[in-house]
Amino acid sequence: MAEFNVNLRGVGSVSVIDVKGYLDAHTAPELENIFNKLLDERQFKVVVNFDELKYISSAGLGVFMAYVETMRENKGDIKFSNMKENVYNIFDLLGFPILYEFYKEEKEAVYKFGDQR
Amino acid sequence: MRNQLKNISRSRGLENAILLSILLFLFNMIFPLHDTNVLAIINELLVFLSVFFLYHYVHQFLNTKVDSPLTLILNAGILAALIFFIVSIANSILGSADNSRGIGFFNSLFSVLLAFVFIGSIVYIFSTFRELFFLRQKRDLSTFFNTMLVFFALTFFSNILVLFDPSFDYPQSAFYVVTIVLICLNSTRVSWIAFLTKKQKYYLLIISVILSTLFGINFATFINNSIMRQIVYTFSPGLHTLMSLVMIYGTINFGIIFFTTLFHLPTAEAFDRKAEEVSSLMDLTNLITQVFDFKELAETITTITTRVCNSDSAWLVLKSAANIELSSVHNIGYVDADKITNNLLGSGENDYDSIGIIQYDSIISNTNEGGQIFKSIAIAPLKVQKKINGYLFAARHRENNFDRDEKKAVQAFADYAAVALENAKLFEESIEKERLEKELDVARDIQKKILPSTVPTSNRLEISALFVPAFEVGGDYYDFFELSDDLLGFVVADVSGKGISSAFIMAEVKGIFESLSKIITNPKELLIRVNDTLKRSLDKRNFVTAIYGIINKKNGILNFARAGHTPILLCSGERIESIQPPGIGLGLDYNPRFASSLKETEIQLKNNDIIICYSDGITEAKNHKEEDFGYERLDTIVLNNRGKSLDLISNAVMKELSLFSKNHSQHDDITLVIFKWNQNN
Repeated sequence: MAEFNVNLRGVGSVSVIDVKGYLDAHTAPELENIFNKLLDERQFKVVVNFDELKYISSAGLGVFMAYVETMRENKGDIKFSNMKENVYNIFDLLGFPILYEFYKEEKEAVYKFGDQR
Repeated sequence: MRNQLKNISRSRGLENAILLSILLFLFNMIFPLHDTNVLAIINELLVFLSVFFLYHYVHQFLNTKVDSPLTLILNAGILAALIFFIVSIANSILGSADNSRGIGFFNSLFSVLLAFVFIGSIVYIFSTFRELFFLRQKRDLSTFFNTMLVFFALTFFSNILVLFDPSFDYPQSAFYVVTIVLICLNSTRVSWIAFLTKKQKYYLLIISVILSTLFGINFATFINNSIMRQIVYTFSPGLHTLMSLVMIYGTINFGIIFFTTLFHLPTAEAFDRKAEEVSSLMDLTNLITQVFDFKELAETITTITTRVCNSDSAWLVLKSAANIELSSVHNIGYVDADKITNNLLGSGENDYDSIGIIQYDSIISNTNEGGQIFKSIAIAPLKVQKKINGYLFAARHRENNFDRDEKKAVQAFADYAAVALENAKLFEESIEKERLEKELDVARDIQKKILPSTVPTSNRLEISALFVPAFEVGGDYYDFFELSDDLLGFVVADVSGKGISSAFIMAEVKGIFESLSKIITNPKELLIRVNDTLKRSLDKRNFVTAIYGIINKKNGILNFARAGHTPILLCSGERIESIQPPGIGLGLDYNPRFASSLKETEIQLKNNDIIICYSDGITEAKNHKEEDFGYERLDTIVLNNRGKSLDLISNAVMKELSLFSKNHSQHDDITLVIFKWNQNN
């Protein structure tokens, strides 16, 4: 059925997660695995690239909510980039833009981490 | 007619046999000497019929004992021995006495009783041969046997011819010879020997050589001009011929059995093992359908593998994505088995796609510590649909390799284990599924009880509420609170997640709203308090979106705040407007950020204005192209139906929605709450 792919890469000291396809209750654990891995490696600066994400459900949103506190406590963050309009609307409706940083380009988001240093 | 005869002889075998025996007995008591031909013929007929009926009776009786041929043979042997003893004793006692002592009453009684013993014995022995003949035959060979029976009868009656003319004996001799030839032919049907166990074969070998000799001696005594021969011959020549034929049958049959068994002995062990393999596989098939505990099955499989495949130890490991886990061991310790398994599979480069044999010389030293030295190990994969779920190991201390059959057997057991494993998995899944469905039932039940069963009515404010649950409970919630005569509070909320957990959160949300709505009459304040309360109990990854509003039924002023929920639709005249004041979802963040994000909105409703609150189950409903139903479609439907009653508007939305997402299951709960302000009432 709905497919989901997740890929992790490093850009400097920032970890970039590419999400692709449909992020829902069934596929969310895959993304969680990536975040757990990042915590194990003590990588707290994360940019999630939504370029190829088609749909996100509340369970998908829950993943970011579950990890963002830990990241921020360790002087990191989860920032979002390259979001399609329909996906952004879901985040927007819930008021996520008040709580998270959204960027048009991944570069921008990565650059913002540089600022904080 | 023939069937009738058959029926009589079959169903009343015993009665007929007894009746004829009594007749025969009386006849012989009345006419001790058959000195005329008529008497002799009648006597012969009576003897024949007695034998015939007795045979039918005994053969039915023996039919039930076919499963243990050795017992049958032993019984026949005892009877043969009985004849042998009677003949020997009679010979030694009466041997010297001449037979012309006259025909006393006791003499004839003795000879008749003797004849009965003989008739009984030969009938039993002959029936035994018959059972042995038909034992384990795949084809219908009754024609061969019945031909022989006919010749037995012919030989029997041809004796009568001799009575009329002693020189007319060649038909009798001819029938006699043909019968013997047929006996020889029929004696070769001994395929049942192959199915005996090795032990039974040894046993049979000894018995058959003894019995063959015994029957031979008996035959010789009857042919010789002994006293026994005279007694029986005088009683009935036919009976004498019959006895000698049965004795010949015995000699030949047991002789052939002896040699056949002898030739079967070298393969006996292999045959035993094959038979055990087959029966073990059958047992396993039974087990697989009955036992759903894989561990228990694994025990059985390793035990059988050890026994059937001539190995000293066997163990079974399960392979999952990450690791290899020992499931069951037989004749080997867990530690040893683990060590060897890791040795063989640990490197990961050998995945043993098909059965592999390892001559273990190279790694003996590694296994030496445990005290187990294996020189040959067979590894068979547990494969289902090309996926390897584990391995079955069979190991030998001895040097000799696993042969082709043994390899096949190990693989067969591995296949069974694979199927059993799959079964156990499916079983577990089905239980899990059942549990989930039960859970969903509970969740649906909770949801049904939480949602209001009626909507409040008032003359100025018309309300309609529609709720369509998804199969997996979606977590939608709506409620109305009569705050005062004029004020009506309402909430439309959506708990993230699905199933029983969201149902419980929903119950909590209801409790919070119900109690707080009585205290706080400001929507924004109320949502802030709800967030404070919820944040404490909500899991990090869960949140609740909600709209809380208060409508003044006197002046038509709507006050509401939105916490992450889908916007409110306001249809006023020909204009439809989505009102989405800022506000983040409940449970997403603590105060003060939550509080500052919220903005209270006030709307003065005009006559016939329609307010619609809905859940994202509507706007996020998908069609077959995975497209969203979206906001615009909803706007259009409401606009087009704005003049109709509220229930009709709901129906129109649902109709369009189901048309849009046909062939696509409803993914989320659908909630639609509609208010209409009637200024003039």
